[in-house]
Amino acid sequence: MSDDAEPQRRSRSDAGVDPNSQADGGSVETTIEAWAPSRPALSTRVGRPLVLGIVTLVVLVLSVPVVVTFVSSFAETATGILPRGFVTFEHWRDVLGLGGDQMAVIPGLAFSLAIATGGMMLNVVIGVPIAYALTRYEFYARDWLNTLAIVPLVPGVVLGLAFVQTYPNHGRSALGLIAGYCLLKSPYMVLTVQSSFQSMDLVRLEESARSLGASWPRTFLTVIVPHAKRGILAGCIITWTLAAAEFNFTFMVVSGSPDPFAVFLYRNTSNATYMQQAAAVSVYFLLVVSAIAVLQLIGNRGFTTIRDQ
Amino acid sequence: MSVPESTAASVRRVRTFVSTTARPTTERERERRRIAIMCLPFFALATVAGFVPLAMLVRMSVAADAVWIEGWSLDAWRTLLTEPTYRRVAWNTVWFVGLATIVSVVLGVAVAHALERYDLPFERAVVAAVSFPIALPGIIVAILVIAMLGRQGLVTNAIAAVTGTSAIDLASATAITGLFLGYVYSLVPRATMVLRGTYAEVNTQAEEAARSLGASRWETFYHVTLPEIRPGIAAATILTFRSGLAIFGTVLLLQSHHVVTLQIQREISVGTYRPDVAAAIGLVYVVFIVAFTFVGLRFVRTDTVAI
Repeated sequence: MSDDAEPQRRSRSDAGVDPNSQADGGSVETTIEAWAPSRPALSTRVGRPLVLGIVTLVVLVLSVPVVVTFVSSFAETATGILPRGFVTFEHWRDVLGLGGDQMAVIPGLAFSLAIATGGMMLNVVIGVPIAYALTRYEFYARDWLNTLAIVPLVPGVVLGLAFVQTYPNHGRSALGLIAGYCLLKSPYMVLTVQSSFQSMDLVRLEESARSLGASWPRTFLTVIVPHAKRGILAGCIITWTLAAAEFNFTFMVVSGSPDPFAVFLYRNTSNATYMQQAAAVSVYFLLVVSAIAVLQLIGNRGFTTIRDQ
Repeated sequence: MSVPESTAASVRRVRTFVSTTARPTTERERERRRIAIMCLPFFALATVAGFVPLAMLVRMSVAADAVWIEGWSLDAWRTLLTEPTYRRVAWNTVWFVGLATIVSVVLGVAVAHALERYDLPFERAVVAAVSFPIALPGIIVAILVIAMLGRQGLVTNAIAAVTGTSAIDLASATAITGLFLGYVYSLVPRATMVLRGTYAEVNTQAEEAARSLGASRWETFYHVTLPEIRPGIAAATILTFRSGLAIFGTVLLLQSHHVVTLQIQREISVGTYRPDVAAAIGLVYVVFIVAFTFVGLRFVRTDTVAI
C-alpha cells in the first residue's frame, strides 16, 4: 500500500460527485466539506512516526538484552555501566569446559541436545502421518483431532508433575524426557508439515503415483513425504531448538546428573559470575541464530511456523 | 428397543466397524484404515504421555495418601476452596497475565502494522529480532531481565549514573515491574507472529480507497483495518494469554509475583510437600486453559492460535 503517498485533498464543494471518478488516485471529488480539511489530520502527521517509534522501542527492548549479554561474555568485568576489558575468551573457555571450571555447560548441553534429537525424531514419526491425515482426509471428529494435535493444551509444569507420579521408574529417565518433549513440541511439527501439505495438490499427487502402480505405503513414503521435506525440516529445527532449552517440564521431572541445559542455568544463577552466565546463555543464542538463519533460508518467517508465500 | 438390546446393537456395530477397518474390503474401508494408521502413532504418544498422566493427576488429587496414591479423600479440593491463599493466587495470575496480554497485543499490532504496511529498512533483521525471543525459555528471559534491571544491570547503572541515586535502590529486576517486562518480552513476539499472519491476508485496496477518500490515518485504521484484523487480534489474545499462563521459568527465578505455576512448584517443594493440592491446582489450571481455548476457538480458526 502506498501509505506514504499523501492523498490529494481538494477542498471543493461546489462540484457535484462525478459518477466516473475512481477511488484510486485521489482525484475523487467529494461533496462533504468536513472531509476536506485544509491541513492533514493529526493522526496523519504523527501516526507513522508514532508507530515507528513504538516499533523501534520494541525491537530495542527485545534485542538489546541479547546483544549486551552476548557482548559482555567477552568482557573481563561488568562493574560500572558498560562491561569493560575486551576481548577475553576466558568465560567461553570456562563454559566450554576447557578451564576445568564447574561452570562447564557442555555436558548438560550435550545431554539436552541428545534428548532433543530423540524428541525430534519421534516427532517426525508421529507428526508427519497425522498432519497428512488431517490435511488429506475428511473424517469424523477431524476438527477435534486437529485441535488436539496443534494446540498445546497441557502446560509443561502440570505435565511434568503428572509424569513423575505416573511413571516413577522411567519418568525421570532420558526416555521420559524424550516422550515429554515430543508431546509438548509436537504442535510445531504438525503445523509446519500441515502447511507444507496444504500447498500441494495431495489428491492428484497420490492418484498419479497410484495409477503408475505404486502401492499406497510406497506412495506415501516415496512421493508424499519427500514433497513435504521443507516443512519437515522446518518442524525439526523448531522442535529441536525449543526442546534443547525446555525448562518447565524438565525442572519438574529431572533429578540430577547430568542436569539438562536449562536446569543447569537455573542451578548456577547464584554461584556463577555474570560473565560466565552470559557466555553460557550465549551458547544457546548462537544455536537459535543458526536455527533462524536456516529457517529463513528455507522460506520460514524467522522462528515461526508461518511461511512466506 | 430395550436397553440391553440397543447396547448389544451398538456393540455389534462397533465390532463391525473395527473389523472392517482392520480387514477392509471396499475402498472406503481402506481409506478408513489409512486414516486410523496415520493417526495411531500420535494417539499412542498422546495416551502414554498425556492422557494417562492427566488421569493420574485426577487420582492424585482425591487420594488420602498422595505419595503412595492410596485411599480416597477430598481434602485437597476442600483446601483449594476454603483457603484464601489459593483465591489470591488465582486472582494474581489472571490480572497479571491479562494485563501482560493486553500490552503485548497492542504492541504486536503496532509491530505487525509497521512490518506489513511500511517499507522498513532492515526488515529481515527486524523480523529476526522480533521472532528470536520465541525460542528463549523463561529461565533465559529472567537472566536477561536481571542483566538489564538487576543491581549490576546495564539500565540500572545507566540511570544511577545519570540521576546520582544508588543502583541498589533502582534495581527493579526482582520487583513486579521486572517480572512484567519479562512476561511482555516473551509474549510480544507471539502476538506479533499471529498478527502478521492476519495482516498479510487483509486486502489493502479498501485502506487505499479510504485514504484517497480523505480519511485520516487513524480513521482508516479504526474503521477499515481494525475490523479486518479483529480475528487476528482475538487469536493473538487467546494465544498470548495461554502462553502467559504457562510461563514458569521467569517467575521461578524472579519470584516477585505469586502466580499459579509458582504455587504448583511450592506445593511439591520440601517443607510444604502436598502433591494432592498440587495435582488439584494443576487440574483446575488445565481445565481453565482448555475451556478458555475452546471458547476462544468459537471465534477464530484453530490454526491461528496454534503456537
